[in-house]
Amino acid sequence: MVTLRSIVETDAAEIVQAFERLSAASRYYRFGQHKKHLSGAALERGVHPRPGRDFVFVATTPAADGIDIVGAAQYVPAEERSDKTCEFAITVAEDWRCSGLGTRLLASLLRRARRDGYEVMEGWVLAENAPMRALARKLGFKIEPAPEDATMVLAQRTLQATRGAKVTPRSPRGPARRGATACRCCVRGVRR
Amino acid sequence: MQRPWLVQYPAGIPAEVDFRRYASLKEMFAASCARFAELPAYSSMGTVMTYRQLDEASRAFAAWLQNSAGLKRGDRVALMMPNLLQYPVALFGVLRAGMVVVNTNPLYTPRELEHQLNDSGAKVIVVLENFAHTVQEVIAATGVRTVVTTEVGDLLPPIKRALTNTVVKHVRKLVPPWQLPGAVPFGSALAAGRAQHFDEPTLTREDLAFLQYTGGTTGVAKGTMLTHGNMVANVLQVAAWVAPNLIDGEETLVIPLPLYHVFALTACLSFVLKGAQTVLIANPRDLRTFLHVLRHTRFTAIIGVNTLFRALLDAPGFAEVDLRHLKIAVAGGMAVQRAVAQRWKQRVGIPLIEGYGLTETSPVAIANPITIAEWSGQIGVPIPSTEAAILDDDGAPVALGQVGEICLRGPQAMKGYWNRPEETAKVFTADGWLRTGDMGVMDERGGIRITDRKKDMIIVSGFKVFPNEIEDVVTMHPGVLEAGAIGVPDARSGEAVKVVVVRKDPTLTEAALLEHCKQHLTGYKLPRIVEFPAEPLPKTNIGKILRRALRDSPPIARVQAASAVAA
Repeated sequence: MVTLRSIVETDAAEIVQAFERLSAASRYYRFGQHKKHLSGAALERGVHPRPGRDFVFVATTPAADGIDIVGAAQYVPAEERSDKTCEFAITVAEDWRCSGLGTRLLASLLRRARRDGYEVMEGWVLAENAPMRALARKLGFKIEPAPEDATMVLAQRTLQATRGAKVTPRSPRGPARRGATACRCCVRGVRR
Repeated sequence: MQRPWLVQYPAGIPAEVDFRRYASLKEMFAASCARFAELPAYSSMGTVMTYRQLDEASRAFAAWLQNSAGLKRGDRVALMMPNLLQYPVALFGVLRAGMVVVNTNPLYTPRELEHQLNDSGAKVIVVLENFAHTVQEVIAATGVRTVVTTEVGDLLPPIKRALTNTVVKHVRKLVPPWQLPGAVPFGSALAAGRAQHFDEPTLTREDLAFLQYTGGTTGVAKGTMLTHGNMVANVLQVAAWVAPNLIDGEETLVIPLPLYHVFALTACLSFVLKGAQTVLIANPRDLRTFLHVLRHTRFTAIIGVNTLFRALLDAPGFAEVDLRHLKIAVAGGMAVQRAVAQRWKQRVGIPLIEGYGLTETSPVAIANPITIAEWSGQIGVPIPSTEAAILDDDGAPVALGQVGEICLRGPQAMKGYWNRPEETAKVFTADGWLRTGDMGVMDERGGIRITDRKKDMIIVSGFKVFPNEIEDVVTMHPGVLEAGAIGVPDARSGEAVKVVVVRKDPTLTEAALLEHCKQHLTGYKLPRIVEFPAEPLPKTNIGKILRRALRDSPPIARVQAASAVAA
């Protein structure tokens, strides 16, 4: 039902549609600011990853116009001069949360980054983004608060083949029911 | 669970309150009206309303809501007024009819009002005429069926009423023209309701009392569902905490904070429980009038935010206010500054009692004991029947003295967010702890200190502002490419909104941008500082904003006002 593959240039239109379907909160978490549109330049860079340095996975499902992109995970070098550390970002469509897709995307991204020769993967996460923090911890990332800014944390993990949690991603369960929040990522409260 | 904070409880303060004592606010209100019937309940602009009068008027409004407005139990009614006698009449009218109050800031812009009315599904709105023009702009796009309008002086005695309304409308011109066909004057609704049958519902703890709106990273406000059980519990908890010196039927509380803000609301209800008189201050920023009221009132209690207490201390007229009868002063909503606490204690003789909580906890959860001698730098200890814990990411307690997220548990914790089950699930841990978004430490005596804030939020004089919403509005302007909003320290308001704006149109001025913001954002959300950097906002390689860099950026190329721009 869901296919993971590397991004291609012709995905640009679907990426824009996927962005439009994201909630304001999800865009805020992904970009750290309110964002109405993807800039042309950002889109260009996104669909043209530089082999060996960048990578973008997209998760697709069949749709009337061919495919829908329901998730994306990417990395780029964390600093232009560094070939050891990559910076990652991951986005999952609203109705695909809690389906295992995020886990699958991030696990695949980790393997891919290792193959590209990176030794460390890191990403900035808004501190209140509990599901992202939980996903990162589940996949062996350490979470550290940003210096002098409790609103952000840095998720970081080394990419040595022998270290880190072994994760066997399940195939995604399909879109969650609207309002279903039973998975550990969202840690549902127990009502009195 | 261990409650180390109990050692700090002053003598006579119980560890638990019997929060089942009343099944609903309606029941509590009825008990107070019966017990304190002839005593003053509220006073506004020199006019007093007794508990009996309040009982009778609110019952009339309740009957009108049922019969003329055709509302049923559980329906939402928006109240959009400053602190006037009409507010408690409408408030208790809605509550005793089993309907749900949606407190609405009268200074909302049409955009903010429209969202709240639609999200809540309010069918009736009670609005002060001064703000009816805002309602007019959006009403067609909402589900509101009936508008009740009221003029400032409506519940004052006839001559005073006529005079006040004339001054407001024709002398001070505070009522922008409005047209709402079918709008019902508040006085007419009460008159009709007096002749109508009121069907008394029996309410339970689970019934909703309030949808209290609060913002978030979603960018739009969410309705916090506060049940009768939540509110009764918090009223009893607060009353127990401030109780030792207070005598039923003998206290006078001054409320300068707006009752549509949950801190003032619960404080007010706690004093209704105790049969106190509450003096309503409609506009605390009109310091002259505020001080005039203080000078002519024998008040025994006051609530406020740090900004307000500081303003009072700085006001020359405050020296003439008789504070000899003041028994308690409570500060909430924002951090109390040490300097303000010390000056207050020196001038007034009693300490400022700082409390803490969230809309989601009705709101009071933690407070300093009323016996503290001086500013503690802490938000205090959990109040009766409340637990606090410092938890890590997994919801597990951190070691004593370590920083973690302050989490709360108690009967005052909200039922959830209205129609947002995912948001609700995110804010509670698996063990039912409510995550506050504040980082802090607890000491061995259960005292809690806030160290930082995890929530990406700005607190301006006790009002919460969310960057996502500010950035949304700023980027609506066609001359703006992108923007980042951040809080910066401000001596007067605690924090202020700063926005860093990358322009598409290099001729866009700060003044023009602020004019645009004023159309979509109510006053406290407006950016105080606007910067136009020459370069794009600092981002990581993957395109994430480094938010802390926004705070520290030096003022770059601050552009002068429109006079410099060619026509």
